[in-house]
Formats: sequence, C-alpha cells, structure tokens
Amino acid sequence: MPDWKRIVREKLGTLPLGNGRREEVIEELAEQLASAYEEALAEGMDEQEAMRSSMAQFKDWEKLRSQVFQSVEGTRLPVWEQNGTFAPRRVSVWIALALTLLLLAMPSFRQALAILPVSGSDPTAWSSRILSDRALRRMQLSGDKAKYARALAFVALHSPKEDDLRAMHAAEKAIALDPRLTWISAKVSHATYAIPGYDPHPWIERLKAWDPQNGFPYLLEAHANVHREEPPWTQHGATGAGLGRVLAAEPRWRIPMEKAFAASRMDFYSAQQFALDRQVLQEQGFDRPDILIVSMWSQPMPDLVAMNFYVDILLRDVGEKAEKSGRIDDALAAYESVARFGERLESASSYYWLLVPATRYRKDAYEKMSSLTQRQGRKEQSAELESTLTALLETGKKRPLLVSSAVADRSGHIVQLFGLVVTLLSITTVAWLVALSALRWKPNLSPGLNRLASMLSAAPVLLVLSSVALFLGYYPYARSIAEYASFEELQEGFGPFFMGVYGFPDLGAFTDIWLPSMFWPSVWCAAVALAGACVLAWVRSRTRPDQPDAD
Amino acid sequence: MAAASDRELKKGNAELLILALLEERARHGYEIGKLIAERSEGVLRFYVASLYPLLYRLERRGWVRGEWEPSAGRRRRYYRLTPTGRKILAEQRSRWRAFSGAVNRIVEVRHA
Repeated sequence: MPDWKRIVREKLGTLPLGNGRREEVIEELAEQLASAYEEALAEGMDEQEAMRSSMAQFKDWEKLRSQVFQSVEGTRLPVWEQNGTFAPRRVSVWIALALTLLLLAMPSFRQALAILPVSGSDPTAWSSRILSDRALRRMQLSGDKAKYARALAFVALHSPKEDDLRAMHAAEKAIALDPRLTWISAKVSHATYAIPGYDPHPWIERLKAWDPQNGFPYLLEAHANVHREEPPWTQHGATGAGLGRVLAAEPRWRIPMEKAFAASRMDFYSAQQFALDRQVLQEQGFDRPDILIVSMWSQPMPDLVAMNFYVDILLRDVGEKAEKSGRIDDALAAYESVARFGERLESASSYYWLLVPATRYRKDAYEKMSSLTQRQGRKEQSAELESTLTALLETGKKRPLLVSSAVADRSGHIVQLFGLVVTLLSITTVAWLVALSALRWKPNLSPGLNRLASMLSAAPVLLVLSSVALFLGYYPYARSIAEYASFEELQEGFGPFFMGVYGFPDLGAFTDIWLPSMFWPSVWCAAVALAGACVLAWVRSRTRPDQPDAD
Repeated sequence: MAAASDRELKKGNAELLILALLEERARHGYEIGKLIAERSEGVLRFYVASLYPLLYRLERRGWVRGEWEPSAGRRRRYYRLTPTGRKILAEQRSRWRAFSGAVNRIVEVRHA
C-alpha cells in the first residue's frame, strides 16, 4: 500500500494553512487516493495500474494547491508561495528582469527608449525640449566657469524663445572667448525679435564684418529692416504682388537683398552648427541622433517669401522690362543673377524646402535666358542653356527627398508601439516589485495587494519580450552621433525613421480638439460610472445572501 | 459545444448537488463523488480536484461542517449540513424547481 500522505504532502508542497488545517487537507486527499486505489484493485487492476488510476484523479497539483488555499482562506495563495509559470519563486522571472536591465545597459536600447516622448507632438516645439531649462542653465554656468566657448554657443543656439536674453548673454561671452564662433550671431539676431525695442542690427553688422563674402547676413539685414509680417507692411498683404512692389521701392529692403544676391557665397552655417551640436551633445552625454536632428531645426534660416519677392523683381520688373526696352545684356544679367543665387542657395542648404525654390529660381532664370538668346539668334549660347536646363531638371528628379520610406515608416511604428508597451509594462513591473517587496516583508499585509501582485506576475516576462521587440525595431537605426559626418548624412540615415516615429499615431484631432473640450466631462462620466458600478455591486451582494463572497 | 454546456450546468449547480446529498446524512468526499456519478447514472461526474475545494468553500461559508470520524478502521472527514446550509438548500432547490419546470414546459411541448 503506497504511503498516500507522503505522496500528497510532496505533491502539494508548501500550503500555508494554519491551525493544523494543512495536515487535515493532506489526510483527506490521501484518503480519497487510498479509496480510489482500493477500488481499482478490487476491480482487478494490478498495483501499478491502480496507482496510476488513483493518481489520475489529480492532474494539476499546483492548481489544486491554489484552489484549496483559496477555498479555505477565502483569498489567493500568497504570491511568494505560488509556483505558477510567472510566480516570483521561478528563476525564469528574475532572469527576464535581469535581461531587461542588461538591455538597458546598451546605449542603442536607451536611444530607442529615449526617442519616444517626442511622438505625437508638434516638432517645432521639440527644439526647445532638446535639453531642459535646468540643463541649459547648468551648461551655461559650467561654460562660464570653465571659459568654454562652445558650450556657451550651444546655450545661445538652443535657449527657448522665452529666454532670448540668456541666449544673447551666452552668445556675447562665446564670441568673446572664441571669435571663430561669430556665426552664432545669425541665430541671436533672430532671437532678438522677441525682445521689444531690442535692435538686432549690431549682431548682423558683426556677422557682416566677420564674413563679408557671405550673402546670408544681408538676407538677415533685409528681414531686420522690414518685418513684412507687421504693420505697416501688412496693409499690402503678407505675400501679395502689392507688397512686392512696395518692397521693391523700399531701399532698406532692396539694397541688402541686392547685396545678398550679388554675394559670392551663401552659407547658413549648417556645417558649423552640426559640428558644434554634435560635439557638445556628446560631451554632455546625449549620444542621441534624434536630439541632434532636432537641434539642427533651430538653425536660423532666410525668409523664403522675401527671396521669392526679390526673384520676381529681378525676373519681371528688371529682366522683362530690360528685354522690352532692348537692353538685352541687362536682362541677361538680371536672369543670370537669379540663376547664380539659386545655385548658391542650393549648395548652402540641406533642407528640401529650400532646395525646391532654389531649383525653381534656376529653372525660371534659365528658361528666360534660353528663350531670349534663341530670339537673339545666339544659337550656341541657347543650346548650352537648354542642356543646363535639362541637366537641372534631371538632377531635381533624382534628388533624395526627406520623406519617410515605407521600411523606415514601419520601423518607426514598431518602435513607437513597443515603446508604449515597454513604458506601460515598466510601470506595471515596478508596481509588481513594490507589491512583492511589501508582501515579502509581511505576507498577510493585504489580500488586495496579494491579488494585484499575482495578477501582475507576467509583467517582467512581457517586459523583456517587448523590450527585445523595441530593440530589434530600432537596431537598424542605432548609431552613435559621432558616426554621422554631416547633417545630410544624418537626415538621410535617420530622418525617414524619425519622421515615421513622429507621424504615428496621428493624434492631432485627439490632442487639439477632443482633449481640451472633453477631458473633464470624460473624467466626470468615468467617476459616475465607477460610483454606479460600486452601488450595483453593493446591492447585488445584499440581495444574494447565498453568495456572501466572491469565490 | 455539448461538453462545454454540460460543464457550465455542472458548475452552476455543483453546490446544490452537494447540499442535496448531505441533506439525508453526513457523507465523506469520496462517497459524495461516487454518489453523484451513480445517481446521475454517469451523466454527472465530478472531478475530484474540483470537489474538495468546493467542500472547503462551503465549509468556510458555514453551510456545511466537516468532522473526522472513524469509518471501517480508518479516519474519514464527514460533512453535514448546518442550519444555514439547510436554508440555502431550500432556497436553491426551490429556484431549481422553478427553473427546470419552466424549461421542461417549453422543451417538452410537442407540435400537434
């Protein structure tokens, strides 16, 4: 006769029941097995068969253990006593947690995690979130103390609009320490528009003196002289032909524009800013391509509408008028000036939104030149212009655009989705760990807490799985910012993926329309629904005396 | 599908079956399991793994009381109804009769 009590005791393992109840349960279950065994023998089975038949009554001992405890005590088995797949007694759960921590130690995984908070928000606001205000302030103080010009220049370039004065102070000090950083004046001259009564001209004059061949300071000067977005200029329309004529007659705008178009080079200081941002971010421990790409968006840019106006003036008012009055060389010179400006603009910019008008300026100018030379019988010159025009159009077609490719888009979606899952599961895992620690300290602390800890047991395993998915989704784009040699390379390698992350999901309607008007009504509705559910549950428990608990 | 609905039916009425069997006299777990199978002619068969947790639950609620008693040279735990258990049995039985009667009146009607 088998020792049934021993068998049951072994199979059940620890069963934390008090007052001798555990032994009673063991004895009763052993009695059940013994009775079934005897009956099987009486039916003619041999001992082994009878043993097997008897034991077959209890297939899942772990489930029985948990059900017995719950039936006797009215609460779940203490989480530290559970033996389920995800129970904290299982080593595999802690291995999963350790693997997640191991992943966290990898810079690529940290990059993938860090990229998430920008999603769904307005990208123009990101540049002010590159570094927190506190981090910028700290950087400024340490830059001041160490007389480190590049850190101060970084502060000047990336201070939010609300803090333009800080940007100017930092810029003054940076340039004083290292005059090679005078190019940051371009950014600061823009910044000063936010300060009432402040004059940006000294910054622009300084830049012109430092970089006299560059057309960019003249574009900044034209904008500083005439704010076409403000009165009195707005009475002519912000972009209309009327404003164009008024601007053409305004020497404070026209003269700097002439100089900008006649300048031998155009440089928006992209390369300088890229090198500075990359270096300072690395020094500050922000090895993140997303921050680098966003930091470049704060780069000062010329006024595109103003350039369009001036191109129109040159092509139509100057060029066409000269053609009509027979001054062919003057007309060609005006067209040539536009074409050359387009070339310089194209070579200076990495942004698609500037490359498109640059190409258009050249195309319009070449078309006019070609037509004019043809009419003048200058066949050789006309043919040359035609071939230049064809080459230009071909190049335009082949130019890689900063738009999301399907693959990068999908990767962005995966990273976004799993990033959200990882965030939620991280919170869940932390809650599980807290509950687990409390229950380790005091096992009978709270049945609710025990229930919560039991329910959340799968969180660490799910966390490692979703972390791996996030890591794999991001891995093709995981690179140190030191590996990007230029902004163009960063835009081409990381930009499409980044746009995929940003574009998914499109929460514009939700955040702009629904959330502001419906947030509090929703909270109230949820509160009323919760109160109603509680009352219903209470009424139900009172009208069903045969079911006094929720087993 | 049929197995699933059987399971639901058994689950809903398991308490009633046990309380009804204990109405006549005190019984131990093994006997309860055998009796359910015998009296239902094999239609209802309780998994032993579910029977004992159910008995413990009824005991905790105070509907049955378990006591160790000698039986054929060994100790067995016998369960008997408490006064609360009798009251609950009466209620559940009355509900069951009303329910099964209603179902029968519908199911057993034949079209002429």
